[in-house]
Amino acid sequence: MKQSKDPFEAALVEQEESPPDSPVGEDELNNQAPNEAQNQTDGGQNMLVDDDDYDDIGSNSKNPSHPSSSSTPKLHFSRANANVVAAVTKKNKEYDDDEEEENVEVELSKFPSSVDPAKMAKMQTILSQFTEDQMSRYESFRRSALQKSNMRRLLVSITGSQKISLPMTIVVCGIAKMFVGELVEKARMVMTERKESGPIRPCHIREAYRQLKLEGKVPKRSVQRLFR
Amino acid sequence: MSNPSAGTPSKAKAGSSQPSEASFKRKRGVFQKDLQHMMYGFGDDANPFPETVTLVEDIVVEYVTDLAHKAQDIGSKRGKLSVEDFLYLIRKDTPKLNRCTELLSMQEELKQARKAFEVDEEKLATLE
Repeated sequence: MKQSKDPFEAALVEQEESPPDSPVGEDELNNQAPNEAQNQTDGGQNMLVDDDDYDDIGSNSKNPSHPSSSSTPKLHFSRANANVVAAVTKKNKEYDDDEEEENVEVELSKFPSSVDPAKMAKMQTILSQFTEDQMSRYESFRRSALQKSNMRRLLVSITGSQKISLPMTIVVCGIAKMFVGELVEKARMVMTERKESGPIRPCHIREAYRQLKLEGKVPKRSVQRLFR
Repeated sequence: MSNPSAGTPSKAKAGSSQPSEASFKRKRGVFQKDLQHMMYGFGDDANPFPETVTLVEDIVVEYVTDLAHKAQDIGSKRGKLSVEDFLYLIRKDTPKLNRCTELLSMQEELKQARKAFEVDEEKLATLE
């Protein structure tokens, strides 16, 4: 079982695939501006945004409860989430963000159960308006996961102990996936700053990694890694 | 037998041929396939550069390694390594923390659901 899917989510995704493709109008996507902020927000939501969107969204998505909000909002990926927005912003340079704040407030309350009807309904409306491209990207986002077996093997080799429990593997896979998200988003931001386009190159990732280190998001080694 | 980074995970050979604690011989390209899809989902191109994927994998492995070492340090005080140690390490990072608690509760739910399902099956079996 992929950790990014549970039966309810799977049902939701399947449901979403079936609705007709959204008209590929940029106006439609204006409605999705709220998305970025609304999701089962696992805490902060930030937006990975292009430069022009950046200022618009940035002010709105600075939630009070967002702890790590710096001058560069980041997109955090929880299950039903604004990664979509990342896709959206990449596709469209302009959209309104009027309704965002109210939506932000609504989504900030943490829903214990993943089967919250209101949230599901919201997600449905958002997802029904996706273009093919967005939907495929969102699907990749949801379905992709690091393999638990590989992770377990890695953890065993690191810790030297065979007792790696399943929850531990799941948790580490989840953490790693979010870390990849942070890296990729930051790399995209670096790219937009440098006004480059196309696939992400290693130099962007390195720069993103460097910035994450400065922000303290990467655990520092207490001992230098001498022999790699 | 070490093959250069192929996309195909042949880690099984590496795993069996050497003790896991002593040698840290890790095959490259362990997470390549998954990472490609993941990076696409997070905003990269549909076909990310292989060098980029390799670099991201290296970074992720290093991240997990550092995390695990730190967790081990914390866990050693308690005796053994547990999930709590990881959760403690990411406590400052709210989105990650929330996501992890979500994953754990989901796993519990699924476990309960499976258990209930099995119980029902047993009941059905005994009835018939």
